Amino acid sequence: MKLAQQLALAAIGVAALATVPWWGSAVLIQFGINALILATLAQSWNIIGGYTGYPSFGNSVFYGLGGYGTAIAMVQFHLPFAAGLALGAMLAVLFAFLLGLPVLRLRGHYFAIATLGLAEVMAAIVSNLEIAGRNVGLVLPLLKGDALFFELSLGLLALTTLVVAWISRSRFGFGLVAIRENEEAAAVMGINTTLYKVLAFALCSVFTALAGGIHTYWITYLDPDSAFDISLNVKMIIMAVFGGAGTVFGPVLGAFLLSAISEVLASRITSMASLFFGLVIVAAIVFMPRGFADLIRRFREVGWRYFQENVKAHRL
Amino acid sequence: MQLLWQVLVNGVLLGGLYALMALGLALIWGVLNIVNLAHGALIMLGAYVCYYLFTGFGWDPFAALPVAMLVLFCLGYLLQRYLLNLVIRAPMFNTLLITFGLEVVITYLAQIAFSADFRTINPSYAGANFPLFGATVPVVRILAFGVALALTVALWLLLVRTRIGRAIRATAQNLVAARLYGVDPRRLYALTFGLGAALAGAAGSLYGVVSQINPYIGAGLTAKSFAIAIIGGLENPLYVLVGGLFLGIAEALTALYIGPTYTDVVSFGILVLVLIVRPTGLLGRTA
Repeated sequence: MKLAQQLALAAIGVAALATVPWWGSAVLIQFGINALILATLAQSWNIIGGYTGYPSFGNSVFYGLGGYGTAIAMVQFHLPFAAGLALGAMLAVLFAFLLGLPVLRLRGHYFAIATLGLAEVMAAIVSNLEIAGRNVGLVLPLLKGDALFFELSLGLLALTTLVVAWISRSRFGFGLVAIRENEEAAAVMGINTTLYKVLAFALCSVFTALAGGIHTYWITYLDPDSAFDISLNVKMIIMAVFGGAGTVFGPVLGAFLLSAISEVLASRITSMASLFFGLVIVAAIVFMPRGFADLIRRFREVGWRYFQENVKAHRL
Repeated sequence: MQLLWQVLVNGVLLGGLYALMALGLALIWGVLNIVNLAHGALIMLGAYVCYYLFTGFGWDPFAALPVAMLVLFCLGYLLQRYLLNLVIRAPMFNTLLITFGLEVVITYLAQIAFSADFRTINPSYAGANFPLFGATVPVVRILAFGVALALTVALWLLLVRTRIGRAIRATAQNLVAARLYGVDPRRLYALTFGLGAALAGAAGSLYGVVSQINPYIGAGLTAKSFAIAIIGGLENPLYVLVGGLFLGIAEALTALYIGPTYTDVVSFGILVLVLIVRPTGLLGRTA
């Protein structure tokens, strides 16, 4: 399928999803908000992790800054929600530029760990800030309107996916892929690698921060541990990788599938959900390391041998 | 001055244990190029092996430590031989994720098997201490420090002086060349991972003696081990020791002069700074 056809299909899907608040149950709408926000996070991670090849563990910083920007604006300065979202996004972009410059010089494991360290530092700094409510956190005004949050999350996911679709076709996106495949070669071909990487980081920070802001206002509460939660960062990565990192629809697919599976498990056998989550990660990395999108594409040709070939390709 | 001296002593004693925690992580990372996110979970398992030998059979924790090492060695060997070897040639990011998956599974199983309660290993001499130039030194801490130091030096000797150690170092430098000289990488990788896990088991036993354990301590310990391995450098066990001591003292001084809530800011701040300024570690050769 061409990208235009896929986007048309996706547009129909978005339109269908947008009707959910009119007929869905409260539980379904709440599940939907969570799944849409996770999908947005996975899709934003896709920009820096999937297309640029920089496995960021610092996206939870953007998420936390988005949440704190919103919370501080609304609680401490009594500004409207939109102003809070803008403040959160600005903070995140500022952070992406300031810390992206030094950190994006690192590669592979070192980049992953430096960003992990940044997330820990941010959590510790925020829990000492008076304006952010120290380690108690902030309580936002209550807004009863799950339908509104659903539509907002859906809109944000659609926007993020559109931007990723544009990236996958643009000169900018080809530059990012070139950096992922071989950074020296990309630089030799005349790509300003530093600029491209920082722009990708900043772009991913905007959407992550907006998702953080929406989620914070929805659950009306925020503390440093939940705002800068590393396991949320790992979740976005796993959803993106499970669906297919570096593809336009893979991360969304992965987020929806994994959210649905863990929701079903959590309601049936409560305590097994996290065990299952761990096992899915292990099995997915062994048998389908290129994600669900690749599985769908190739399974028709090679059938069950697909899994065998994946194991053969990477074992010692 | 008195207080500063006491804080420095505490920092050094803590730093020795930190170094042992990071040692296994650094070994696996340096040789196998796997950043083992399940390392902290292995430390936690080692602590529980020691705890159950202590409470169930009345063993002294320092006598239970070798058993914990053996159990963890076997677990590590099997994990690498039958699971991680399947993905070792995949992009580094995949091995990172699979060890995260293992961490989740191990933590979950531990929570089922051991319950989420806090536990401590409390031998009869747990409260004993002695003075050292005016500072008070708890006996268990100095014992833990001694064991950590001995194991670090033992690993260094193993790597430098023995045939196995040479094979491990050769594989770390060049897998193809090591293979040509008759090293079987499947077994050697499993052996190296087993060694790293055994060191985690030892660190866990000591951690259980000087602190509290529960099934969720793993993730935090992994993060700390990272910081230490990076600050010291991966090439040499003795570098990791320096990294551990450095971080132990830095944290103790932070707690004294800035406030105990800032220790994480300082340790991870140092981590990020070292990564940016000297990615090969404070003592490592520059690339």
